Amino acid sequence: MTGLLTTSVGSFPKPEYLTRARTKASKGELSGQGLRALEEKATAEWIQFQEEIGIDIPVDGEQYRGDMATYFAENIGGTEISGLVRSYGNRYYKKPIIVDELRRKGPISVDWFKFAQSRTKRPVKGMITGPYTMMDWSFDEFYGSRDEACLAFANLLHQEALSLEAAGAKIIQVDEPALSTRFDELPLLVKAVGTVTNGLRAKTILHTCYGSYNEIFEFFNKLPVDQLDLEMSNSGLDLLDRFRREPLKKEIAFGVVDVHSHVIEPESLIRERIEKALTIFAPDKLYIDPDCGLKTRTVGEAQAKLRNMVAAARAVREAHRLA
Amino acid sequence: MVHTTVVGNYPRIGDTPDEQSLRRAIARFDKGEISAEDLREAERDVVKAVLREQNDAGVELVTDGQISWYDSQSHIARRLASVEIDGLARYFDTNTYYRQPVVRGAVAWKEPILVDEWKFAQTNSKAAVKAVLTGPLTLGSLALDKHYRGKKALTLDLANALGEEVSALVRAGAAHIQVDEPILTRHPEDLPLAVEGLERIRAGKGAAALTLFTYFGEVSNIFEQLVDTPADVIGLDLVQGAATWAAIAKHGSKKPLVLGLVDARNTKGEDPAEIAKKVLDLKGQINLKTSFLSPSNGLEFLPRARAREKLRILSAAARKVGVAA
Repeated sequence: MTGLLTTSVGSFPKPEYLTRARTKASKGELSGQGLRALEEKATAEWIQFQEEIGIDIPVDGEQYRGDMATYFAENIGGTEISGLVRSYGNRYYKKPIIVDELRRKGPISVDWFKFAQSRTKRPVKGMITGPYTMMDWSFDEFYGSRDEACLAFANLLHQEALSLEAAGAKIIQVDEPALSTRFDELPLLVKAVGTVTNGLRAKTILHTCYGSYNEIFEFFNKLPVDQLDLEMSNSGLDLLDRFRREPLKKEIAFGVVDVHSHVIEPESLIRERIEKALTIFAPDKLYIDPDCGLKTRTVGEAQAKLRNMVAAARAVREAHRLA
Repeated sequence: MVHTTVVGNYPRIGDTPDEQSLRRAIARFDKGEISAEDLREAERDVVKAVLREQNDAGVELVTDGQISWYDSQSHIARRLASVEIDGLARYFDTNTYYRQPVVRGAVAWKEPILVDEWKFAQTNSKAAVKAVLTGPLTLGSLALDKHYRGKKALTLDLANALGEEVSALVRAGAAHIQVDEPILTRHPEDLPLAVEGLERIRAGKGAAALTLFTYFGEVSNIFEQLVDTPADVIGLDLVQGAATWAAIAKHGSKKPLVLGLVDARNTKGEDPAEIAKKVLDLKGQINLKTSFLSPSNGLEFLPRARAREKLRILSAAARKVGVAA
């Protein structure tokens, strides 16, 4: 039996040369081409790092994105990008504005998927910012209805998913960090994600984080994806008992390192977390990853966390004689 | 005639390099390049600018924009006894986060929290400055309670502490106090506890006008009781809480209301004439002369330029109400 495959949620921190280049580009001091070359360099470095430490399912690291919703909105017709709004503390992002009917301009992340996949034989995840999150994180000046705006994004993102599949993606992840924003809208989220994943042959994953998971638990089995990716080390370890009572009928990617903490979890702690997860989930349905994207950590912290994670998964695999 | 006011927070940075001074100052402070006093100076410069923008737009009752607040919860909670500040938690449905207060023991007021900020703002504003506090029910509900093991005892101790803060603000000269209880839009069944808290806060307010504000949703089922709470003015979000409108139209209010009709969570600009028309629909049901028009909640969720535009819409709508009334 195989199992405990390792992966990542999506984002990695940008190396300093790329952060500096992005600032320059925003001031018009660096060309789009010049920036793109550095984004490719950083992406290639992250793929190489994941190969070196032996992550089973790599990601492209999202070196080309500022904010996950803004990047997708910039590549969808009918949107504008607003001025800066605050997320928390001293962190700001440019929020999309829906100003007209949403239209597909072309593939959004397919080129980056191809670039990353061309550098590794392991299956790279295709990554889509989910329709509910796109709606919830945009100002809507056009539809005047959250349902309509959400489903309009869903139709476009279904096209994106088909393009990723056509480009060779075997695994497609839909990111819905806004999932737990309004519990009364969970049926809308299920419908919208179902629109995105409809008819795909690729394995589909839904990622969410910052959840009040207890309140959304009953929706887990209704989500139209093959795998759920949950933040477990930061807030979810308490949930294990509930999973014991009400089994998940899907695969789970189990977050074992906290992405909001500078502390590098030792391999032994991560092993304990994986062992706990193994008391509930079958190893071939259990994937091991960080809680969320690692982009807010330093490159050094992110790499140390990933190294320990992979080492811990390997050790548990060996202990359980998993291939 | 209807007065104009704002709800509380305001964007602290804008899109021009000038308007990003505070963002740069915080980054430099974090790196140890400037002192805490330098950072406070940068905050004060932004407070002055925010007051200027509200004054220029003609808003009659303004706030300091809560420029120095990290968030709505930790800014107040961190200065109370027995409270520690922990990691990030999601703040309602806003896609923003607050640092969660953790209650480790009996909560108590130690020292003035908002008094210096209020004094500074009032010194730099032509219009009266309203002091805004997060209410005890909301503070207690969003905190992690490791001591009381019950919302009631925690809420009432928080109310006692906030009551002392209100006394200190009133002694410093504040004539308008606002207590925000957005949690009532999620837990209307907790209104009796909010009222008990408000009674304790009211005890220290002297002659100041006390406003109770709810936002991020509707309160139609508790509207009648809300009007009977021991507050002098009731503030309502009538955008996300549009469903409350029917309750106002049906029951009316003897107390002045703050009508949060300008959408503070969407960049789309309203037509001032349409807003004025809505306000005038309530003529006879509420006293427009003592009531206010406002954004639906704090303007911080908008980019700065759009927030300024919303202030302009607010004033234009109020003027149209005045002409028509």
